[in-house]
Amino acid sequence: MQKIKDFYNKYKVIILLVLFVIMAVIPFLGIETLYIRYMCNIMMYATLAGSLNAINGYSGQMCLGQAGFFAIGAYTGAALSKNFGVSFWLLLLVGGLLAMLIGFLVSLPTLRLSGIYLSITTLGASEIIRIIAQTWTPVTGGTMGIKQIPYPEFFGLDMFRPQYYYYIFLFLLVLFLFVTNRVLKSRVGRAWMSIREDQIAAKSLGVETSFYKSTNFMYGAFWAGVIGVAYAPFVNFIDSTQFTTDVGFNVLAMVVLGGQGTLVGPILGAAVVTILTEALRFLESWRYVIYALLLIAMMWGRPQGLVGASKSMLAGGKIKVKEDKAKAKAEGGSAK
Amino acid sequence: MGYILNQLLNGICQGSIYALMAIGYSVIVGVVGMVTFAYGEVMMIGAFSAYYIFIYVGNNLPLAILAAFAGSFIIGIVIYKLCYERFFTAPRHISLLCTIGISMLLKNLAQIVFGPETKPVLNVVSNKTFNINVFGSTLNIRLLQIVIIVLVIVLAAALTLFFNRTKYGIMLRAVSQNKDASYLMGINVKRTALLGNCIGCGFGGIAGILLGIYYFSVSATMGSAYSMKAFAASVLGGLVDIRFSALGGLCIGIIENLGIVFTAATFRDIFAFAFLILVLIFRPQGFVSKKGARV
Amino acid sequence: MKKRVLALMMSLILAVGLLAGCGGSKDADETTKAPETAGEQQDGEEDATEPAAEGDGEFKGTIKLGGLAPMTGTYAEYGKGFDIGFNKAIEEINAAGGANGYKLEIEIVDTQGDTVTSSTLCTAFAEDDEIMAILGDFTSGACKADAEIVDRYGVTLLSPTASADDYASMSPYCFGIMGRQDVEAPFLAKYILGKYVPEEMGVDVQKVGVIRVDSDWGLSCYNNFMKQAEQESYEVVVETYATGEKDFSSLITKMQAEKPDVLVVMDQGDAVFQIFNQADAIGWEIPHVALGPGTSEQVAAQLTDNNNLIVTSPFFFDPSDPELAAWAEWFEGEAGFAPTIHPACAYDCVYLIAEAIEAIGDGEVTRDAIRDALAELPAYEGLSGTIEFTEDGDIRRNYMICGVKDGQWTVLEGFEYGAEGV
Repeated sequence: MQKIKDFYNKYKVIILLVLFVIMAVIPFLGIETLYIRYMCNIMMYATLAGSLNAINGYSGQMCLGQAGFFAIGAYTGAALSKNFGVSFWLLLLVGGLLAMLIGFLVSLPTLRLSGIYLSITTLGASEIIRIIAQTWTPVTGGTMGIKQIPYPEFFGLDMFRPQYYYYIFLFLLVLFLFVTNRVLKSRVGRAWMSIREDQIAAKSLGVETSFYKSTNFMYGAFWAGVIGVAYAPFVNFIDSTQFTTDVGFNVLAMVVLGGQGTLVGPILGAAVVTILTEALRFLESWRYVIYALLLIAMMWGRPQGLVGASKSMLAGGKIKVKEDKAKAKAEGGSAK
Repeated sequence: MGYILNQLLNGICQGSIYALMAIGYSVIVGVVGMVTFAYGEVMMIGAFSAYYIFIYVGNNLPLAILAAFAGSFIIGIVIYKLCYERFFTAPRHISLLCTIGISMLLKNLAQIVFGPETKPVLNVVSNKTFNINVFGSTLNIRLLQIVIIVLVIVLAAALTLFFNRTKYGIMLRAVSQNKDASYLMGINVKRTALLGNCIGCGFGGIAGILLGIYYFSVSATMGSAYSMKAFAASVLGGLVDIRFSALGGLCIGIIENLGIVFTAATFRDIFAFAFLILVLIFRPQGFVSKKGARV
Repeated sequence: MKKRVLALMMSLILAVGLLAGCGGSKDADETTKAPETAGEQQDGEEDATEPAAEGDGEFKGTIKLGGLAPMTGTYAEYGKGFDIGFNKAIEEINAAGGANGYKLEIEIVDTQGDTVTSSTLCTAFAEDDEIMAILGDFTSGACKADAEIVDRYGVTLLSPTASADDYASMSPYCFGIMGRQDVEAPFLAKYILGKYVPEEMGVDVQKVGVIRVDSDWGLSCYNNFMKQAEQESYEVVVETYATGEKDFSSLITKMQAEKPDVLVVMDQGDAVFQIFNQADAIGWEIPHVALGPGTSEQVAAQLTDNNNLIVTSPFFFDPSDPELAAWAEWFEGEAGFAPTIHPACAYDCVYLIAEAIEAIGDGEVTRDAIRDALAELPAYEGLSGTIEFTEDGDIRRNYMICGVKDGQWTVLEGFEYGAEGV
């Protein structure tokens, strides 16, 4: 593992470039459309899970309401582009900012709360957003939802094929990773992580915890909103049932499976979850039974996620000890 | 006036079922120290255990309630072993995700084993209605509503007695308050937590069949909607306090039903959650006044 | 650290293994060419005409159809009916020498009664050039979401059951054979409320209580119902609820306080009997009328008062008609429950496509050719009745009044107003 890491650090630019080129040419390889659509799903969920990870993984607040922010982006995008013909690219920003505003409002009561109280409040907020979407018929279409959402246009190209849409999601994912990486390495990111590891210590060292917790929430909500805007035309039809708490749980599962508090984790988690649920389709009604069993098995096998950090507080004390032993063994073994 | 009273009665009846769910939930959260999202499915299993009693034995309510308790109790053991025991010291989101997995597992397995269709639960309690004159207006009380409310009160009283008068009850309370101290006092924390989890699940199972009787049907997917309600109700009550959780459940039931009187049924869930968030803004720890015992 | 590498490898192997497993089952499909591909992933770069030319010498070629059906979820009962209906028709047609010499094949996928899944799978069909027409989906909402897709790709979407009156007009490629809400709902208002209930039950209908599901379909029903109700000058009070609602007690108490003369429920699922049972439970005696469930066995079996429900239905499996009775019996053997109109419509859909292919004759069978032939098709006598497409691409049906008597559906004799129209 360490070798892989060293190798990566050494040829970072080349590896990233090669990866990017591979990703960029995939739609030209003549892969069947359905699989391109799955790729789109993976990249979309990877960004969404990443936005949740920005909250849960980096400031240690446990948000369960990501489906709500996602919904705000989706509905903003759908309603404005359908009724007023606003450009998709502008809407990405508008939807993100609106979700950020709601994120700010949700963060206000949660600043005083912690642990499970914060979780239930975000969950409640997400449910309220969903029910507003379900009942505010003039704007959201109520239970009828919004249909025939205009597809984005790119210099006159109507991007309705999944092959085109692929690039939108790829662009958003890369942008998200780039920006998040910069933010995490900045003062703000360090403040978030200090809150995660020990809030009281952070406070005593002069970190404005309320301010940073709030910005953290807004940052996560912003990206959930952005990806929501992109999601709406992709499925072409949205209604409130697409934003239930189950969706939020699913995204949480991706984050935790992949590894909280890492940039790659949510991508891997999104890929594993999406591939698993699609690949298990042949099991018909047994599909989710097997998926649930695998989920629990993975939690037993690797509680900190596939690429999770074992040294952070996120991994927990007991596991850390075990992991350290394993590490010692592994190092002993690799010395041969 | 009579109309509002009738709606209030609907609210109290539904609220008392919510209260029973919330009691079970807060027992679990108290002794285990972790939340669960599999509670709705636990209730569903309880409801189906009782349903099969109705099918194979006949409309025997006490036996059905016992079966519901037993069925959920056993599922409680499974949940404890799979989701909690291993992860006591791990961060909370791990056991949380495990309960989400269990919930998915049980829901889908139930659809295969019990079938996807809604099953009827008919004529368990006769459709008798009493008309009572209150301040000049008529109040229609159904026998079923009386049965449910009385049952919930009896069960809550029994649980309180169990917690205050028996050795196990006191051990459970000790574990709920402080695990480390209980351990030092010579209490087998893991076994006590298992017992608490199972008792909480059992109460959930009874609430499940009461819902089934009240709505005349049980189905494999009935749980998810109520899981959230139980969670919200027990958060209102401060998560671990049984009496306040029951109060929280009652409040949510009444508010929902009165909300429907003044607006539409489609808004139902908004009232519950908006009320919850309002309470949390002003009283971050729910109705409970004392500090400490935080989860 | 070793553990981490191991876990990574394990998950990779797992993923690859599963994908390979899928690929394997795909191959199996191709070789056996079984019509039952329900629930399978969509097959890929299969060249359908080639094996057909070799294997099935007597056929001119194979024409592939896509089938969208809610095999799991809330509407699983109907999805299963679709599956059986589609495959039965395909088998019969192929056994009789195919459609104009072409062998028909259908690939049925599970949409889970979910609109997004439906549109994903519909896009996959539309992208697959082998698929000549798409049959399905069940709900009006899903069909309306798919309408835009089929319009863009230019492929026919023939729904057995979508009945929203604005569905078929969305695209020239959209067709539906369920009949339209702007006929059924007014029929209910005019004949059940205006004739049957006053004449047979002795209840003079002045005020109507409507409880409806808040969905595309429910809204369409209600609006069309209201048009007729205004003409008949009924006073209407309405309450709505979200899909999946279980507790109707406060809603019913609210409705009871309005003192309507008759209670109408508009829903296609379980809510129908749940509402009536909960109304019975508070001792509210009122005529029960439902729009939507048709003559569903599930509904009849679950009522506490099994003599009090009247519905409209375009179709009834009349035991005295030998052909219908035989079909119903065969279906019950396959499915384990009695058929409603829905599987019959699914069965007819396949025959309609076959008719369209016959009509193309010697011309090349393309997506557009099928669409054009379907639109021009003369009246077809199907299992579910006469099917003749209107300008929009849907049909008008005649309705009759059915009621539950001792838990069994019966046609209420002497109240066949269907021919009179609305």
